[in-house]
Amino acid sequence: MHNSIGIRRILNDNYNFFSTEQSMKQLSLFLCLKYLGGKKILLLSIAAVAMSCALLITVSSLFTGFIGAIENSADEHLGDIVIGAPAAMTISKYDRLISSLEASDYIEAATAVLSGQGLLHLGKGTGDVRAARIWGIEPASRSKVTPFANLLIKHKNGTEPPTLTAADDTDGIAGFVGIGVVARPDDVTDEYDFKQVNASIGRRVFLTTGTRELKPKTIKFAIADVVFSGVHEFDKDFVYLPIDVLADKLYPSQGKVADMIQIRLSDGASPESALAVVRGIWRNFAQKELGWSNYAILLTKINTSRQMQAKLLAEYKKQMGMLMLIFGVVSAGVVLLIFCIFYLIVITKQKDIAVVKSCGLSSASVGTLFLVFGFVTGFIGSGLGVVIGYLFTKNVNYVERLISVVFGLKLWKSSTYMFTRIPNQVNWESVIWIGVAAVFAAAAGALIPAIAAATVRPVKILRYE
Amino acid sequence: MYKFILPLRYFLKRRITHLAAAAVALCVFIVVVVMTVMNGLVSEFKDKNHDFVGDCIVGTDSLVGFCYYEDFLSELQKHKFVQAASPVVKGFGLLTQPGTGQNIGVEIIGIEPVGFCEATKFAQTLYYHKDKPSDVFSPTYNPALAGCVVGIDMISGSRDGAGKYHHGPEPLQIELMIICFPLTARGALAKAGTDLVNSKTVYYSDDSHTGLVKVDARTIYLEFKLARELLGMAGATPRASAIHIKFAEGTRLKAGVGKIKKMWNDFAETYADRQYANLLKNVTVQSWLDYRRGSIAPMEKEQTMLILLFAMLGIITVFIIFVVFYMIISHKSKDIGILKSVGVSRIAVLQLFVVFAALVGTVGALTGAGAGCVFLAKINDMEDWLFERFGWQLWDRTVYAIGDIPNDIEWQVLAVIIGAAVLAALAGAFFPGLRGSSKQPVEVLQVSQL
Repeated sequence: MHNSIGIRRILNDNYNFFSTEQSMKQLSLFLCLKYLGGKKILLLSIAAVAMSCALLITVSSLFTGFIGAIENSADEHLGDIVIGAPAAMTISKYDRLISSLEASDYIEAATAVLSGQGLLHLGKGTGDVRAARIWGIEPASRSKVTPFANLLIKHKNGTEPPTLTAADDTDGIAGFVGIGVVARPDDVTDEYDFKQVNASIGRRVFLTTGTRELKPKTIKFAIADVVFSGVHEFDKDFVYLPIDVLADKLYPSQGKVADMIQIRLSDGASPESALAVVRGIWRNFAQKELGWSNYAILLTKINTSRQMQAKLLAEYKKQMGMLMLIFGVVSAGVVLLIFCIFYLIVITKQKDIAVVKSCGLSSASVGTLFLVFGFVTGFIGSGLGVVIGYLFTKNVNYVERLISVVFGLKLWKSSTYMFTRIPNQVNWESVIWIGVAAVFAAAAGALIPAIAAATVRPVKILRYE
Repeated sequence: MYKFILPLRYFLKRRITHLAAAAVALCVFIVVVVMTVMNGLVSEFKDKNHDFVGDCIVGTDSLVGFCYYEDFLSELQKHKFVQAASPVVKGFGLLTQPGTGQNIGVEIIGIEPVGFCEATKFAQTLYYHKDKPSDVFSPTYNPALAGCVVGIDMISGSRDGAGKYHHGPEPLQIELMIICFPLTARGALAKAGTDLVNSKTVYYSDDSHTGLVKVDARTIYLEFKLARELLGMAGATPRASAIHIKFAEGTRLKAGVGKIKKMWNDFAETYADRQYANLLKNVTVQSWLDYRRGSIAPMEKEQTMLILLFAMLGIITVFIIFVVFYMIISHKSKDIGILKSVGVSRIAVLQLFVVFAALVGTVGALTGAGAGCVFLAKINDMEDWLFERFGWQLWDRTVYAIGDIPNDIEWQVLAVIIGAAVLAALAGAFFPGLRGSSKQPVEVLQVSQL
């Protein structure tokens, strides 16, 4: 303490322009900033923070984008809420149920679906047979519940809702098929040959499906259009037929029946409240119109489309959590790196620190300065990381294509990862917490060196022996 | 001697080096754990694919199949390097369980049980007929009935939350109806003008657990002749979809496949003037790896991506070592000056720091690897404990076809990881070492520098 005052006195005596203690402090601060600012090694810590930050943002965004895409694809394909009849039961008089549902403020539209499985023969001499999932649909009402019309290749831009009628040699029956039914994506590019797809429109095909009476029924129909949703699951093996045609084949004596009602909610309607409303309407309808027992009503599955995916999504979220944990732990190495770099600066600049302290800068100021530099390093690093992570995530499809073209390595295939394109939505929620965590991690790394700098004793360092 | 004593002293005395070793250990620990689990999953998946199809497959993707397969089988059996070969028919069908009104589209695989079990490890996937696969299509409750084997995941409720499958002492008598389109050799519908399809009632006789999700969830195995009949491949010139081959022990995969390819080309040439020779043109000869490439490749790519990501993060460790060594060497100028002033060469000083870096890298890598091995040895116990206490599993076994978490350490992989860590330490220390070794005694031993 006495030494410090002594040095200050000497300096004051000798240098007139440092006339005040304030000027001494400013000089000290200037010197300190110069020592730290001029250190190229600080760029290394900024780069490390940026790299870790970008990596975590990319992983988190791609994963949440993927999870979001699954949720959205379920919404788009199934609507917001689905009423599923119990196994081996069907819902008759579904028009009345749909009218009751649509009368509610919570519900915008509803549509009936009759589902089954079958075997599709893709026409004369092709030798091409494949298992297919069949949905009996009403295209007009379906277009109100899902963006179905936008997924059709031929009728995409039509002003009228799509219809399912065809030429006479198929008894007027037409159907839509998923793009994967009529074409296979290229092994290298994973893209469909749209010439081949368009050529399949109009083709006559045979669909066989079993019935409860164990008598197979074959339906000949013309492909009226091809559905391309970009979701492998819905593109690979779906066949859509008019619901009345399918009902007539599968349940000839029961008239119009469905086994699923898909519902689109009104804008702003809460799914939880809407679910309660739908359950109430269904219970009323099943009891009064269908005469179902309470047990059968209880067996009816009424869920949001997101609840139906919940188990799978929970697994994906768990995997994302594990991956973030692993990368997070490894990124903790960045804290060590910043610690080492700042410690290196403190050790190699002990004399300078001693000089500025002797010029009047307090220990707290020196420590704070190092800590602030830690924050600044983290701030710049995380800012850079956010930019890199954002650019990479947004352009991930171009990067993937570039790798595919340059190295011939197709990393993303819809048959493996469900979607034709890699979901590239940046998850801003994770960007914020990763960015903030990076800033504090950098500051944490600088904490011990800051303390070490603050405790440098000028009298010990500056003595000459 | 000083080349070993000094690094040891530095390592023991300078706490900052412990930090560098800890960084290496952390990195190695994570890489060992993640890579072992990932490698285990990939190699397990590959093995399952290999077990499912045998060593080599002569076959076609076309559902029409190809003719004259019996003649080629006879050819194959003449060669010693072919241990077993068995024909298979494949097609699609609709499976219905009477009374339920439920249909599912399935892949039909028609096999000759004895031959197929010799060519592949199909017998090991069975539950009731593991020891006597020849009877697999004879249901134990009534051997006179036509039996079938279904993929295990087609039986609902057979798997519990822990991923274990449960079976009764005997298979249940379940009646199933198979419907399929029989095709002619030209790919047309064989029963055009009638009801177009063939159907047959079969009875559940056993289930097959290959561990391959898509196979276990959508495949039904029928007796070869029955499947051939249903799919329209019987008749005067019978057809098959593939021949699965197992090579004799000691036969290298590439060499074996090469020989079969040559044999097939010769065979196709000899049969070029036959009526259905055009079907032979679609036939390919592939190793099991190529045949199942579509399933295996995505997992291998994910593994490669993970390695690249860890390599990127490993760079941080290199930087940490760089900084630590830079710091230590800056502080050891006096030592360097003294060593050089007593005649130690620049190379020898560099060697000293290289030994020091190797020591830091080795200690860090061995610590990380040791901790990783212990963690892996206990990983399944830990998961069981977490599942019992909190219902938490790394992978939900009702969703994924994964049994225990793979924890078999591949010593080659471990050696590569340790080696890479030591190299990373050497890389990180090289430039500071070079800088230190080039210091001049006259500069660093000046009184003003002391």
